[in-house]
Amino acid sequence: MADFALVLSFADAFRTTVIIGACAAIFSMLWGTTLFAITLAPQRIFSLVVGAYVQVFRNIPVLVPLYLVYFGFPMIGLVWPAAVCGILALVLQQGAYVSEILRSAAKAIDRSQQDAARSIGLSPWAVFRHVYLPQIAVYALPALGNQSVLLVKDTSLLSAIAVVEVMMKARLVVEGSGTVYLPFVIATALYLVFVLAIDIVFALLGRRVRWK
Amino acid sequence: MTQNDLIMLVRATLSTLYLAAGTIPCATALAALLVLLAISRHRALRWTYAGLRWLVRGTPLALLALLIYYALAGNGIAVPPVVAGILVLAIYFSILFAEVIRGALLAIPRTATDSALSLGLPRMATLTRVILPMLLRQGLPAYINVCVMAIKGSSVLSIIGVWELTYASREIIERNLEVFQVLSVAAVLYFLICFGADRCGRWAEARLARRGYQTQR
Repeated sequence: MADFALVLSFADAFRTTVIIGACAAIFSMLWGTTLFAITLAPQRIFSLVVGAYVQVFRNIPVLVPLYLVYFGFPMIGLVWPAAVCGILALVLQQGAYVSEILRSAAKAIDRSQQDAARSIGLSPWAVFRHVYLPQIAVYALPALGNQSVLLVKDTSLLSAIAVVEVMMKARLVVEGSGTVYLPFVIATALYLVFVLAIDIVFALLGRRVRWK
Repeated sequence: MTQNDLIMLVRATLSTLYLAAGTIPCATALAALLVLLAISRHRALRWTYAGLRWLVRGTPLALLALLIYYALAGNGIAVPPVVAGILVLAIYFSILFAEVIRGALLAIPRTATDSALSLGLPRMATLTRVILPMLLRQGLPAYINVCVMAIKGSSVLSIIGVWELTYASREIIERNLEVFQVLSVAAVLYFLICFGADRCGRWAEARLARRGYQTQR
């Protein structure tokens, strides 16, 4: 029965992980889509800047932006809760990957569609929203699902900035009680549940976009 | 930031490279064994592989690092942090490398083996002169990708006290509070390693392409 109480004690930590993971996933989709939309501008300078951003964030580990935000922002007068700092760092990095995924999905769409849509009088925004995005979604969804799974696993790094999420909780229990394996089994199971939920969400989304 | 701090960061970078250099060969060797499970004739072995893949897909690297750290400490096994770190990374990334190899293997048509054997090529030569070159050209881009992931993953080891670039950065920050300077230098160093590894991969692909092993992207 003590084991059952131990499982229950993870509830708060699991909720934290879910909230952080969900927020980071949603905002990184928005940020990644924004970055991708910027690259569609006719001026080359925009896509060069976004390209540099993507290269930088793809080639540094997420702990670096994480520490940058968490330790750096208080120095310029922004004192945010650790969880918010963590989400921001995750979104900054994840956005780079999302925009890359969207870019490679967009390659599959013929350019002539843009000319056709423009010539029947759609605004550039309408072309992006109603012609590009629905088609890109179909190609990009599986990759976005995988990337979201990686994101959920990266939320465990927020334990490095003292956010009590599932991994931090496991660590606290191990150091407090001396039982080594059980907390890790529980934590792993919780992450697997979260990952399973994401797979289901993306499978459902995939079914929705396929018919359009 | 003093000159000493800068030297410390460069030394920490060498430590990161050292971890990567230890991890990638070990993980690749483990991956080769895992692939044998994946393509085995026995269903139980294939399921074992699928289970491992599923487990690693859903488990954060940091969690595995902590588990191994506590398991080693709890059983009184004293190993240097670097060895523990390489162990963690090798276990975690071996399954990712195995997926790369498996994916590349699936892309090679069965007929390639059959025709090589029917031309009278010995089994060993079929493997080394027909299958392996094709595997290389199929798998290299994804392989380099996982290598870069492994280098970035080594930063996670800082939470179990392995002294490498991220750990050293945090150490310096906690001493002199120059967050932006120190982390900018760390970011540049990481970028140089990972971007460099990526470019080396591209260069190898280009070389293979010149010899007729065109990579398909």
